[in-house]
Amino acid sequence: MAEGVLSPGVNLEAFSQAIAAIQALRSSVTRVFDCLKDGMRNKETLEGREKGFVAAFQESLHSVSRDLGELERLSNLVGKPSENHPLHNSGLLSLDPVQDKTPLYSQLLQAYKWSNKLQYHAGLASGLLNQQSLKRSANQMGVSAKRRPKAQPTTLVLPPQYVDDVISRIDRMFPEMSIQLSRPNGTSAMLLVTLGKVLKVIVVMRSLFIDRTIVKGYNENVHTEDGKLDIWSKSNYQVFQKVTDHATTALLHYQLPQMPDVVVRSFMTWLRSYIKLFQAPCQRCGKFLQDGLPPTWRDFRTLEAFHDTCRQ
Amino acid sequence: MGVTCVAQVPVAEGKSVQQTVELLTRKLELLGAEKQGTFCVDCETYHTAASTIGSQGQTGKLMYVMHNSEYPLSCFALFENGPCLIADANFDILMVKLKGFFQNAKANKIESRGTRYQYCDFLVKVGTVTMGPSARGISVEVEYGPCVIANDCWNLLMEFMQSFMGSHAPGVPSVFGTKHDSVYGPADTMVQYMELFNKIRKQQQVPVAGIR
Ligand SMILES: [Zn+2]
Repeated sequence: MAEGVLSPGVNLEAFSQAIAAIQALRSSVTRVFDCLKDGMRNKETLEGREKGFVAAFQESLHSVSRDLGELERLSNLVGKPSENHPLHNSGLLSLDPVQDKTPLYSQLLQAYKWSNKLQYHAGLASGLLNQQSLKRSANQMGVSAKRRPKAQPTTLVLPPQYVDDVISRIDRMFPEMSIQLSRPNGTSAMLLVTLGKVLKVIVVMRSLFIDRTIVKGYNENVHTEDGKLDIWSKSNYQVFQKVTDHATTALLHYQLPQMPDVVVRSFMTWLRSYIKLFQAPCQRCGKFLQDGLPPTWRDFRTLEAFHDTCRQ
Repeated sequence: MGVTCVAQVPVAEGKSVQQTVELLTRKLELLGAEKQGTFCVDCETYHTAASTIGSQGQTGKLMYVMHNSEYPLSCFALFENGPCLIADANFDILMVKLKGFFQNAKANKIESRGTRYQYCDFLVKVGTVTMGPSARGISVEVEYGPCVIANDCWNLLMEFMQSFMGSHAPGVPSVFGTKHDSVYGPADTMVQYMELFNKIRKQQQVPVAGIR
C-alpha cells in the first residue's frame, strides 16, 4: 500500500530500513527508562550496586545514540516524502526560498480562496436564477422544479416526426428561406437554412431547442471534407462572424420553455430579416458602413437594422 | 468571391501617375487597410485574321485574352459585348496554334499592376495601368467578399469607395445592370477590366493625335 502513496523518488529499501531503525531506537529508549525505573538492583555492596547501575545506564544510552545515528543516516537515503502537506505536491512551492521572485505559493492560496468564494456565490446565484422562468432546458433542479413538475421534460423527448412537422411548416412559411433537415448524429436534428442568396445558417437542435447556430456567407462552404455539415468552423468574413454572435444572443432572447415551436418560429422570423443584410442602411445613423461592416444587428421586436454600436 | 467594382481614377492635377497612386494608397492606409501582396491583370488583343473576314457584312471582331493573378490557373477570353470564356491557363498556347484565325496585336498589350489591400471584408487593388513602357492611368478595384448579388451591395460598395476616392467614385458598372439576381462571378470582373482598358486605350489616342 505504501508503494502506491509514495512518489517514485523515494527509496523504498531505505524506507523500510529506516522504519526498523525507528523501532530499534524506540526499544533502546525504552530500555533507558526501564533502567532508570528499576533503579539499583540488589548487589552485595552499595558500591557494586552503583557501579552496576551506571554501567547498565551507560550501555543503554550508547545504544540510543547508536540507533539515532543509524536512523539519521537512513533518513538521508529515504528522500523527501511529499504527501505530508495539505496541498499535496503544490505545497512544495512554499519551500521555494526566493519568495519575492516567484510568489507562486501565495498566488496559489489566493486563487484557492477565490475559487472557494466563486463556488459559494455561484451556488447562491443558481438558487436565485432557478426561481426565475428564464430557462432553456429541463435539467435545473431546486425550488421551481418542484413547483412545476414534469411540464418541461416532455419538450425534450418530442418525437422526431413532430420536430420534422414544425420545421417543414416554418419552411413553407417563408418562401425566400429554405430549410434542409438532417439527423447525422441520431435523434438530434441539424438544419441548414439558406436565406435568399445572402447567407447560410447551420442550426444544431436538441429536440426543438436550438443549441447552436453558425452563420456563413452564401458562397462559403458549409460542409466538411467528408460531406457532413461543418458545425465548428466560423465564417471567413467579419460580417458573418458578427451575425453569428447576434444569432447566439437571439437564441437566449427568444425563450418560452412551454412552447418551443413558437421559439423556433420567432427565431427564424428574426433571422429572415437578414435578407436585406447588405441593402438596409442603419436606422440610427443612416449609413451603410461603420468600421467596414454593414448594420449587422436586427432589433428583436421591430426587426430594424442597426450597426452593432448604434443599437440600444 | 464577392461583388467587385473596377473604376478608373484620373491623375490628380499637377501630379504624376505614381504620385496619385501614392495619394490613394495613403488614404487607404489611414482608413486602416492592410497591405496584402500584389496583383496583376493583363490583356492581349487579337484581331480576327483577314482570311476569315470578307463573308458579307461581317466586320473583324476583336477578341481579348486576359489573365488575373487572383485566378492564376485560369485564362479569360472575351469578345466586346460578347460571351466570356474561362479556360485553363494553357489556353495561350492554343491561341498560338490558332494564329491563322486570330492575330495578336502585340502593341495593344495592356496591364494593370499594383498592391492589394484588405480592409475588413473589402479587398482593394490599386494598380498602375501600363501599355508598352509608359504608365497610362490608374485602376481601382474594390471587392466586397461576403455578398454575391451585385445589386444587393451596390450602395454599400459606393459608400466605401467614396470614403477613399471622394468624388472620383464611379457610377454603377454596366455589368451590374445585366446581372439581376444571378451570382456575380470572376468573368464579370474581367469584363469590367476589359472596358476600363478599352477606355484608357482610346483616351491615349487623343494626346497622340492632337497637339499639346
Ligand atoms: Zn449606425
